[in-house]
Amino acid sequence: MKKTFVFTILILAVLVSLVACGPKKAERPIKVGIVDTYSGPPAVYGNDALNGFKLALEEINKEGVLGTTIEFTTRDEQFKPDVGLSMAKELVLNEQVDVLAGTINSATALAISEYAKEEKVPFIVWISKSEKITGEQGHRYVFSTGENTYMAGKAGASALAQQPYTKYWIAGDDYEYGHAIGDSVQRNLKALKPEVEIIGESWWKVGEPDLVPYLTAIMAAKPDAVIFCTGGASMTNALKAIKATGMSEQVPIWIHTATDHAVLKPLGAEAPEGVMGTMDYHFYYPDTAENKAFVEAFEKAYGSPPGFPAFHGYVTAHLIAEAFKKAGALDREKFIDALEGLKVKSPAGGEIEMRACDHQLVLPMYLGVTKKVPEYDFLISSDIVTLTGDEVMPTCDEIKAARGE
Amino acid sequence: MEFGQSFSFAALGSQFLVGLSRAMILFVVCAGLSFVLGVLRVPNVAHGALYMIGAFSAYSISTQIGGNAGFWLALILAPLVVALVSLIAERVLFCHLYQREHLMLLLFTFALSLILGDLVKLVWGATYRSIMAPAFLRGSFPIFGSAFPRYNLFLLFIGPLVAVGLWFFVNKTKMGKISRAAAVDREMVGALGINVSWVFAAAFVIGCCLAGLGGALVAPTISITLGMDHNIIIEAFLIVTIGGLGNIWGALVGSLLFGVTQSLGVLFWPQFAIVFPYATVVIVLLLRPRGLLKSVW
Amino acid sequence: MFKELSDSKQLWLVVGILIVLLIWPMLMPRFYIYILSLIFVTALLAMSLNLTIGYGGLFQFHHGAFYGVGAYTFALMLTKTSLPMWVGFVVGPIVAAVTGLLIGWFCVRLSQLYFGMLQISLGSLIWAIVFRWYTFTGGDDGIHGIPRPAVLSSSNNVYYFILLVLVICLAALYVIVKSPFGATLQAIRDNPQRCEAVGINVRRHQLTAIVIATFFAGVAGALFVVLERFVFPDLLFWTLSLEIFIMCLLGGWFTFAGPMLGAAIIVALRIFVGKYTQYWTLILGVILILLIFFLPEGVMGYLLEKLKPRIKEATERG
Repeated sequence: MKKTFVFTILILAVLVSLVACGPKKAERPIKVGIVDTYSGPPAVYGNDALNGFKLALEEINKEGVLGTTIEFTTRDEQFKPDVGLSMAKELVLNEQVDVLAGTINSATALAISEYAKEEKVPFIVWISKSEKITGEQGHRYVFSTGENTYMAGKAGASALAQQPYTKYWIAGDDYEYGHAIGDSVQRNLKALKPEVEIIGESWWKVGEPDLVPYLTAIMAAKPDAVIFCTGGASMTNALKAIKATGMSEQVPIWIHTATDHAVLKPLGAEAPEGVMGTMDYHFYYPDTAENKAFVEAFEKAYGSPPGFPAFHGYVTAHLIAEAFKKAGALDREKFIDALEGLKVKSPAGGEIEMRACDHQLVLPMYLGVTKKVPEYDFLISSDIVTLTGDEVMPTCDEIKAARGE
Repeated sequence: MEFGQSFSFAALGSQFLVGLSRAMILFVVCAGLSFVLGVLRVPNVAHGALYMIGAFSAYSISTQIGGNAGFWLALILAPLVVALVSLIAERVLFCHLYQREHLMLLLFTFALSLILGDLVKLVWGATYRSIMAPAFLRGSFPIFGSAFPRYNLFLLFIGPLVAVGLWFFVNKTKMGKISRAAAVDREMVGALGINVSWVFAAAFVIGCCLAGLGGALVAPTISITLGMDHNIIIEAFLIVTIGGLGNIWGALVGSLLFGVTQSLGVLFWPQFAIVFPYATVVIVLLLRPRGLLKSVW
Repeated sequence: MFKELSDSKQLWLVVGILIVLLIWPMLMPRFYIYILSLIFVTALLAMSLNLTIGYGGLFQFHHGAFYGVGAYTFALMLTKTSLPMWVGFVVGPIVAAVTGLLIGWFCVRLSQLYFGMLQISLGSLIWAIVFRWYTFTGGDDGIHGIPRPAVLSSSNNVYYFILLVLVICLAALYVIVKSPFGATLQAIRDNPQRCEAVGINVRRHQLTAIVIATFFAGVAGALFVVLERFVFPDLLFWTLSLEIFIMCLLGGWFTFAGPMLGAAIIVALRIFVGKYTQYWTLILGVILILLIFFLPEGVMGYLLEKLKPRIKEATERG
């Protein structure tokens, strides 16, 4: 009896899901299919991006686009590239979305990018930082609204080149992101200051909980400064270990996204001060009226301030809306043509442009140093220097060369 | 690919101590895994998830109560929370499976790990958490000329304490002796009139409690996130295998080997640190396939 | 040995299923063609695993490593050399089988749990190397945009190609399982000491089974590349291996076709349940628990149990 029950439940579940998810009738709101990670440590970023996107949609759908509204549907890739690709295929073939968006996982982003090229569906990447997305593996059907490791490296290098350090140690998470940042900073730093020397490298597995042995070994080697190539939860571990060993008081440190709110907030007042970092968005800087309004609306809707993924998600929604308006029709090719070179209002103030030659959003980089301030119970970035997107992005010629065009 | 820098004995000594303290947390977790493996003869795949619950519970308890007291209370209460969770899982579901073949028990613990992993997401959400050690355990002081975090010194005390406690339990208490007997010959134990099912329950709960303690101990040193379970479980499995299945002292030896080779490896060959643990395990298993110490069965 | 196959009921069933699969692309929208292709690849992988765990009783805990090795070898040959596709398609599984031989050689010296743990360690070592060697393997980004030959450019052609390879491999596996070798393997699973006593070289048989199983895992890996056109290191991660294990259990690991059914159910559920919830792992865990308690012989096992008396009746009646 029990067995029959379980058996029938299983079969029913499979059949129902197969039937209930048949191809949809073309009924015609604009559909955006989002593939992102909503499980595991990167989920905090996936949720943030989605929230930014949703906030923008609320405003956009009030007046509508091309006489209809923009709808979206999400799929959790569980940080697995094969699941991500399958989900993307389902969104295109089954849900028949007009545009794909997502994800934080670079392998997934690249895989979906290939598929988008095959199926001729526009795909907008909003968190993954791999420079290959708009660089060597870029093409007509992929766009990026997030910054990439090329930009971060160039920004970091320009900050560090102004300092008197020559002997550097590079340390970070042993995966493509870590190495890409490390390579980018090295390359740009040596170009700006040829006497710079990398005296050693340390790489630990992503999410490695105990970084103290690595840090003590680095401090023993006495570099002038250390470049950390890490992010997310791994960076929180790094910052904790830095604080525990007192490293930030002895050796200058630079980390891309050191000033990321998602990382600094859990640490509260115990994060290390004096760490140099770069970010492309802060909810407290620039202190423009637009940024304040954006942050207020976001906090009201979601209970906490927006991070950089929310910023990207928000801009992505507006880009999609404006591009379709400019295209005048629900046509993917016209959409892409309209999106190239399109400028929309940035929630931080001013305008922001989707560069035509490589489909990369022209994002500024804010260089700052972590500091305790009385207004907040977490650290923020201070002494901020702004680099414009054009100063940190690869030139269109470099892109052409990388893509072999 | 350089082969590391010129290092002094001071650096070596400091790295060795750091590796030792890291090994202590590994030991606490692996001792639990080994204990369960020894008595129930099942590798508990859910051990990592229970460790994660221990860390998250420690976060909740210490932030609720706040201050230094929060940490100490968390250290006591979090393992109890985990013990409760494991007791429920054991009495409601697991115990009905003891008559089945081992593969079923293994798969049950795998299913449990999947469920508990998602339960953590449901209860605590996806954002990272972090807690701080109590005030006098923060910061570092110089040993061998390098900064050695105070919390790691604390771990160097706790580890042996747990080891002694376990030794006492297994060798001097009635419960411990029965568990040892059940590990070797459960039919005999049953024949002596002892309820084997309860022995298993106790062993499982104690093992999981240790996992929770490991999670609570590690909480101030890392960011507490989803996915912690996957990271620790593979290391724990490997350590328990090289130590000798079911042998708690094997778990100690394995943890020491793992922790120290990793931290010394970081000093000599920092670029390939990721490969080190697996390479060490492979070498040990090729030389002594049954582990370094005798397996309990 | 073909007696069972010529049992008219079974034969008609197999032919019937084949016909449905052949006309599937003509009736179904593209997405369902893709899903079925994915199921075929996963089914082959699950079937190859079952040779070792179901028929061999071996604790093959990291079968995914060989799947990944096959996929990566094929991918690397297609992207780094200009050799034609069929060369890579043959070399991939061979490399996987050689890896199986190497790892298996160490593992068969041990029994049960040790076998499994050693395999997990060795397999994880390969994973770590693939992950770290990013200049060669692309690291965690993987290798993308792997070219497909022109003849396989449409999803229908890909589907038929995968189906063809699957059928050939299944036929081969069926023959192996029903052969004296297969019978010996099962005898070893049930009572290794007895077999040893009768003079059977237990280790050699087990090692052979591993090599065959890992060869087919490598084929599945190559097929994955044909279908999805990319590889990434987590194909070699132990969690995938555990998933394949679950597929065999779900389908029924004492039956021949069980693992295929298990693969089909898991792949279908993963995609369709994933549309609605982020808690797919929770659901998978619950399904697994239900299975362990109520359906340990798996779906196929359960079906066969139910149908066996009827089949017996039918054949008795003539």
